[in-house]
Amino acid sequence: MGKLLICDNVTKRFGGLVAVNRVSVEVSRGELLGLIGPNGSGKTTLVNLISGVLAPDEGRVLFEGRDITKLKPHERVALGISRIFQGMRVYPYLPVYYNVELSARSVFKDAKLARSKTIWALTTTKLLAETLELPANLTPYKIKMVELARALVTNPKLVLLDEPFAGLSPEEVSEVIEIVRKLNGNGLTFIIVEHKLRYLMKIVGRVVVLNEGRKIFDGAPSEAVNNEEVSRVYFGVV
Amino acid sequence: MSKLVFAKPSKIKKVRKLLPSLAVVAIYLALPIMGLSGFWIDVLTRVNIFLLITLSLDLYSGTTLYLNLGVPFTVGASAYAIALLNRYLGIPVEYAILPSAAISAVLSFAIFIPSLRVRGAYFSILSLLLPIILAGLVTSQPFSLYLGGEGGISYPPLFFSYARTLPARERLFFLSASYFYISAAVAIVAYVICYKVAYSDFGFMMRSIGQDELLAEASGIDTFRVKLVGFTASSFLSAVAGALYAAMRPPVTADVFIPANTLVPSLTAVILGGMGTVVGPAIANHLTLITYEVLWGVLGRWRIILYMCLLIVLVLLRPQGFVFYLYLRLKRAVSTKISRLFEGA
Ligand SMILES: Nc1ncnc2c1ncn2[C@@H]1O[C@H](COP(=O)(O)OP(=O)(O)O)[C@@H](O)[C@H]1O
Ligand SMILES: [Mg+2]
Repeated sequence: MGKLLICDNVTKRFGGLVAVNRVSVEVSRGELLGLIGPNGSGKTTLVNLISGVLAPDEGRVLFEGRDITKLKPHERVALGISRIFQGMRVYPYLPVYYNVELSARSVFKDAKLARSKTIWALTTTKLLAETLELPANLTPYKIKMVELARALVTNPKLVLLDEPFAGLSPEEVSEVIEIVRKLNGNGLTFIIVEHKLRYLMKIVGRVVVLNEGRKIFDGAPSEAVNNEEVSRVYFGVV
Repeated sequence: MSKLVFAKPSKIKKVRKLLPSLAVVAIYLALPIMGLSGFWIDVLTRVNIFLLITLSLDLYSGTTLYLNLGVPFTVGASAYAIALLNRYLGIPVEYAILPSAAISAVLSFAIFIPSLRVRGAYFSILSLLLPIILAGLVTSQPFSLYLGGEGGISYPPLFFSYARTLPARERLFFLSASYFYISAAVAIVAYVICYKVAYSDFGFMMRSIGQDELLAEASGIDTFRVKLVGFTASSFLSAVAGALYAAMRPPVTADVFIPANTLVPSLTAVILGGMGTVVGPAIANHLTLITYEVLWGVLGRWRIILYMCLLIVLVLLRPQGFVFYLYLRLKRAVSTKISRLFEGA
């Protein structure tokens, strides 16, 4: 069976800075992949290249064997790639319901289907009691849930989570992990970006480590801890 | 609770809620036959046509927050299309209104496509330049020879050939009243459509672009298509306004391209009314423009200065959505009154 996602030697430059430098990553269906690295190592840029927010200067992105390098973000969402942004990113003046439903509606032309998908996503993220609230009245955890619901509502095959635990309490982190695990158990593929290894160690099957735009490690989390270069990069950070 | 989103209010409740608004509209429509002077009928006709521009601005700029300063271009293009179709092809204005609006909407669409692709201020800047360029073209050689120059282009106005057959006394009233009812009918239809669209999924997609375009794009919304459709629909409304106005009030001159004439009043109404609310800007449109005419009797030429000072105050105080807020309060007050009446019965 072919890989779900292949990043083939992708490079992204900002002026003289090479934010992502000839990175190749392959992701299989059903994987739970950790993407880690210090601040500024290129994690978010790589997520942007996969979701189509940025176009690579070199290299290709393949999804289900198809070259999607030239596709726009919304086209990639329709193919099954969803993402949530680093930090809190929702429509501030739209109620929770519309924050989620608009994405469903743009992928499923059938309004009824979009609505039932929205209710499913709001149920999965336990947001049914907040459908009419504005994001300003929600806790950071609930806002994360809105973002997650928005990412799930389009029937994705691959979900990219950019630092989803930032700003959450340890209990809330475990709840997010719980939901991710459950969805992953049903076959949904995840790439979870984290600054620190700690949270990911126990949940991901594999980690990719970036440093200064380069991939320096790709393998089991337990091996990553023992890897010399990873330890050097993470000295005092892990 | 979630139920609230999905529960549909019963038809009777809906009608009962609409009653006060329908009553206001009915009284408004009865004004010409209740003996309103010709001068004021003409004023209301102009205010009705301005409502189309206000709705056009609110529908696109009020939701996407892409400020379309090119409205005078769209209004002017359809006004000139009316005049030119009449002058060079001999098409009577009655038949030229819809084609002219379509021509202007297509022209606006074609010119603004490139700027819709880009995020941010580029669109507003381009839209600001176009009306200025066109106003220059119309009044300078060699184009002025074909486009009427400073004096504009004149032609028989809407229904004039029929009105000529009427006795002189009835003629003016017929023209005033028919213009009023046509403008009011178009305004009401446009209002209902705009309201429906602004609060539909498509309308909320436009709002999502205004609130976070990158998020909208990255979460599945084809933002370019939404902007394109929204902009074209909005342009068509402005274009209808230009065509109707030109059909009723020849000659067409370069004045239509001047933002102070065709953009500032509507922009004020949208800001004062509450961007993207449709109801607020529509009420504010009528309130501000009718007040402006009343001021003519009181202040004469000073009214424009007062108006501009008022604008400055508005900008400083930023009463975003002031009229919408008043409308909601009034609606609540009226509906509690009405429901008490029904309870008493
Ligand atoms: N849009 C941009 N323009 C210029 N530089 C950028 C841009 N986005 C990211 N960078 C730079 O690229 C590098 C990688 O950033 P990023 O991918 O956000 O890192 P990470 O997510 O791992 O913290 C950083 O040095 C950052 O400053
Ligand atoms: Mg980052």
